[in-house]
Amino acid sequence: MTAIMLLRGVYAVWLREITRATRDRAQLIGGVSRPLIWLLILGVGLNPYFRGEVYGEVRFVIPFTYLQFLFPAVIVLNIMYTSIQFAVSVIWDREFGFLREVLVSPMPRRLILLGKVLGGSTIATLHGSLVLILARFADVTLSIPQMLTALGLMFVLAFGLTSFGVILAARVRSFEGFGVFSNTIILPLYFTSSSVFPLDPSLTRTQMVTAYPEWLVFLMQINPITYAVDALRGVIIGFNQFPPAYGLMVIFGMAVVFFVVALIDFGRS
Amino acid sequence: MNDAAIMVSDVSAAYGAKKALDAVSLCVPRGSHFALLGPNGAGKTTLINILCTLRKADAGSASVAGVDVAKRPTEARRSIGVVFQDSSLDDRLSAWENLEFHGLVYGMAKKSRRQMIETVLNLVELENWTHEIVRSFSGGMRRRLEIARALLHEPKILFLDEPTVGLDAQTRQRIWHYLDRLRRERDLTVLTTTHYIEEVEGADAVCIIDGGKIIAEGTPEALKKQYGQRWLHVVPQNGEALAAIRDRFPQAQLIGTNTLAFPENGEVKTDVIIDQFRDRLAEVRFLPPTLESVFLSLTGRELRDRADGQRDADRAAGRRGGRR
Repeated sequence: MTAIMLLRGVYAVWLREITRATRDRAQLIGGVSRPLIWLLILGVGLNPYFRGEVYGEVRFVIPFTYLQFLFPAVIVLNIMYTSIQFAVSVIWDREFGFLREVLVSPMPRRLILLGKVLGGSTIATLHGSLVLILARFADVTLSIPQMLTALGLMFVLAFGLTSFGVILAARVRSFEGFGVFSNTIILPLYFTSSSVFPLDPSLTRTQMVTAYPEWLVFLMQINPITYAVDALRGVIIGFNQFPPAYGLMVIFGMAVVFFVVALIDFGRS
Repeated sequence: MNDAAIMVSDVSAAYGAKKALDAVSLCVPRGSHFALLGPNGAGKTTLINILCTLRKADAGSASVAGVDVAKRPTEARRSIGVVFQDSSLDDRLSAWENLEFHGLVYGMAKKSRRQMIETVLNLVELENWTHEIVRSFSGGMRRRLEIARALLHEPKILFLDEPTVGLDAQTRQRIWHYLDRLRRERDLTVLTTTHYIEEVEGADAVCIIDGGKIIAEGTPEALKKQYGQRWLHVVPQNGEALAAIRDRFPQAQLIGTNTLAFPENGEVKTDVIIDQFRDRLAEVRFLPPTLESVFLSLTGRELRDRADGQRDADRAAGRRGGRR
């Protein structure tokens, strides 16, 4: 097989994912309604109460609103849902026999997986960018370079999380099992990622622990999504709670590690 | 052995403790139509899976088109087309999209892709359904689309695992006619597995497989000549008579619940049976040698219930229907 032939194969697998996604209305409805609920209801509702005070004492001036703070996190949430739900597509292929069609083809397995993960990440990135449409509403203005950087990070994040979905799929036997699985993973990861409330940057570690229980701070610090959200915040509203390099390292690290694990899993099946 | 399209030597495979294939060897010449005949669970599908690189043999080696399937699987895959027992179509895509996907994955250029898609769709008479979503297709239409897809990249060897379950006689004939033409023109080798005797009468060679072992191999005529014999089937009037006959002739084979079968091979004098039990028999009939009777005399069993395949297909469809 020449390179161009292999490329055709990857394109075919990618295209199939996109075609299937555009026909899956339920997924699209989820992709549109989720940001609306989070931003319009939660975001607007809590916006007036977001101030830099702890126990009635103003500790620092927050240079952004709650909506702005929440906005990058909702992008990550949308990407997480679509990416991890992508496992359903993998399970579907396996259960309904389509997997055999590609397994007996001369395409190397790692390229099949690459095409599939690229397809899943493209869909997840698109769902993530559905949130960007609400940018004006959340009072976020983005320049073109900011937008492109954000899209790039979103894609790499989606790539890692989609690979994670594939890894999950290899360990789940049924669709029914997966429904529970995804909800026990996505929401906890989201809530412990400093997505809906900030770790107060002006406090020292001891003070922070008095403001929040230590276990919660600990969960946030070990949750990789924290750093992904932080990286996107850095790009979109210019606010970082952690050194900016952390976010990049985590996003790219997840993409590489999860894809490699997915490759190993897929090669075994 | 350059003319062998498929070579299998001493292949064994097991699922846990259950042996699916036990030191199977066979050779399929290029351009021939080879049939694996055997009941469900005989190991046919396992052998196909090994040949199309979906499963590794536990022992022995196999090659397709001169390429070892275990050592160079990617290369082996290029020369084969496979129609699986259960559907492997994407039913959320249209017929055309399924074929286009296949063409792309096999690295076909746009022009030959478009041309072949048209050819194979015409072959299976789905040209009016080109852009319909496969989900709306009937079982027979899916089957036809699948056969079309397996031929799209012009494979050298075509594997058909229980290919014509759910196809009407006319379509079946048309497809076989086309496959015969491809065999003549392009030296296509066809390997089918089936438990339908009718399917294999036209094959160049038949291999009867049961319990993971090859028990006979040859052309349908040779098999019939060698193992086939005229059979006497008698239906006793009641259970008492049946028991009496079995007592007297222990070699009688029970078929179903009320029929006894005797091979006409000199061992049993069939006229003696008829003479002795004339008054207690409801029905007496002689059966000419068929592959069915070859199978019966080799295994002592009939090829199981013919409706099995269809029932399995229905059950699979029901299962899918519940999930979707």
